[in-house]
Amino acid sequence: MINFFNTYQSLLDHILVNMLLAASQYVVLRAGVFSLGSAGFAALGAYCTALLTTKLGWNPWLSVVVGMMLGTLVSALLALPLSRLRGVFQAVATLAFVQIVLSATQNWVALTNGPMGVNSIPHAAGTASLLLIVVAVVVFLVMMGRYSFGRALDVIREDETVAVSLGISVPYYHRIAFVLSGALAGLSGGLHAISSYSITPQDYGFGLLVAALAMVVLGGRTTVWGALVGALVLTSLPEVFRVFADYRAVVQGLLLMLVIIYLPRGLADTVIAHLKDRRLRRTAAPPVIAAPVGVLTAQTRSRS
Amino acid sequence: MSTTLVLENVTRHFGGVPAVDGVSLEVPAGQITGLIGPNGAGKTTVVNLITGILHLTQGRVLLDGQDVSKTEAPDLARAGVARTFQNIRLVPDASVLDNVLAGFHRHEKTGLWANLLGLPSARAEARQMRGGAMQLLERFGMTELAEHRAGALSYGHQRRIEMMRALASRPKVLLLDEPVAGMNDAEAESLAHIFRKVAADGVAVLLIEHNMRFVMSLCSRLYVLASGRLIAQGEPDAVGRDPVVVEAYLGA
Repeated sequence: MINFFNTYQSLLDHILVNMLLAASQYVVLRAGVFSLGSAGFAALGAYCTALLTTKLGWNPWLSVVVGMMLGTLVSALLALPLSRLRGVFQAVATLAFVQIVLSATQNWVALTNGPMGVNSIPHAAGTASLLLIVVAVVVFLVMMGRYSFGRALDVIREDETVAVSLGISVPYYHRIAFVLSGALAGLSGGLHAISSYSITPQDYGFGLLVAALAMVVLGGRTTVWGALVGALVLTSLPEVFRVFADYRAVVQGLLLMLVIIYLPRGLADTVIAHLKDRRLRRTAAPPVIAAPVGVLTAQTRSRS
Repeated sequence: MSTTLVLENVTRHFGGVPAVDGVSLEVPAGQITGLIGPNGAGKTTVVNLITGILHLTQGRVLLDGQDVSKTEAPDLARAGVARTFQNIRLVPDASVLDNVLAGFHRHEKTGLWANLLGLPSARAEARQMRGGAMQLLERFGMTELAEHRAGALSYGHQRRIEMMRALASRPKVLLLDEPVAGMNDAEAESLAHIFRKVAADGVAVLLIEHNMRFVMSLCSRLYVLASGRLIAQGEPDAVGRDPVVVEAYLGA
């Protein structure tokens, strides 16, 4: 067991960090914001943390907090123009943001070391602390989804016209979702930096952007659990299929296509909906399909 | 009784084509006012203009005497204008209860952080709203279906959820866009009971319908729309006999 743990510890850490990234993508998708910015915010968080610890010798955890704050701040600024855009325009705008961050990490050599990346970052985050943070974030996101905030996000995602006609201000919720997403991605990036010794610009490129999106699509985008399952599957898959190392991307793509075709709501969401339906079938009497007209009129009469 | 909703010469052009042309009507509180007309007459456009989804090209919309022509849709909803949609628009994966709860949005007072963190104030409010929602479910005979997924229910049930969501906001003005489309007479009659009660509570109800018989039995005043213009108005019986109306509906 211990042996197993040692072998897979770095994989486990990686899964936990990616869960936070997937959570960041989940928050925006749940609100119907088509943001691809998570990779960019993760890069900001990671570089901020790495540079503060290596160049200025700051405490790693304090650096993570600052990295997360940087992600939050930048997303808050970006949210202002972004909440006026919709759908594919949001996607392109956030993609442009990722490109800007990426070229900064590659070309601003004086600050970021360029393509060499930042090395010998203190390894401060162990599996236990990462797990603790993920649990805290999940509790927060479950709470968020349970009350009026989560409900408003659902209505907005499903139909903005309905949201508006219920008095829900769409730009306001879009902005908050986007800022939360920036904070979570910044946190994920910062933790990645202090759990993996070194970071390079390639870690945060187009690959990560697609991975974040794929995790949520694979797992499901209406519950937190979807993001967690997606991160777990897509991060561990390359290890499980080590034998097919050359075909890793093919296997991953194939799996994604199968899920999209046969389980369009994602793995976790499909299972959760199925369980819920089954529980209802068992507890409740079979739903009355025809309207209970007699009962209804009797009730209305007795009230009036 | 005070008049709640007034439209004055409301006009909307789509690229030069008038979809709604010089419509004036009154929807008084405590009554059900009918707006009828053949397909494509512009009925839904009128609803969209009232709720601020579309903006007027000309004319004014008055709510309790205040000009709300330029008011944005969410602000109008918060001011007490609720609607149902002709094509059902729910969150299909959410439960019936959650769909109805969404209607309480304008009455929610707890702050963002309380809601994000699930603080006691948010929980207390959620409990209170839940109670209100359960009362609505009981009124519509759907208590047993509270936890069911909205998307999995029958058409008639989904229509009811739309109405409960609109009523949850305790509106001053309620716009019903073809609420009984696709329902049989018995189902329609059970809803008619509810609409009468809502109006009797002092809500100004505007009923947009296709089903002439349903409208006749329910409305105290009727407006008839054809090709974006009002062609007749008055007491239901008189309107029903009006040759212009008969012609618009049945052809010459």
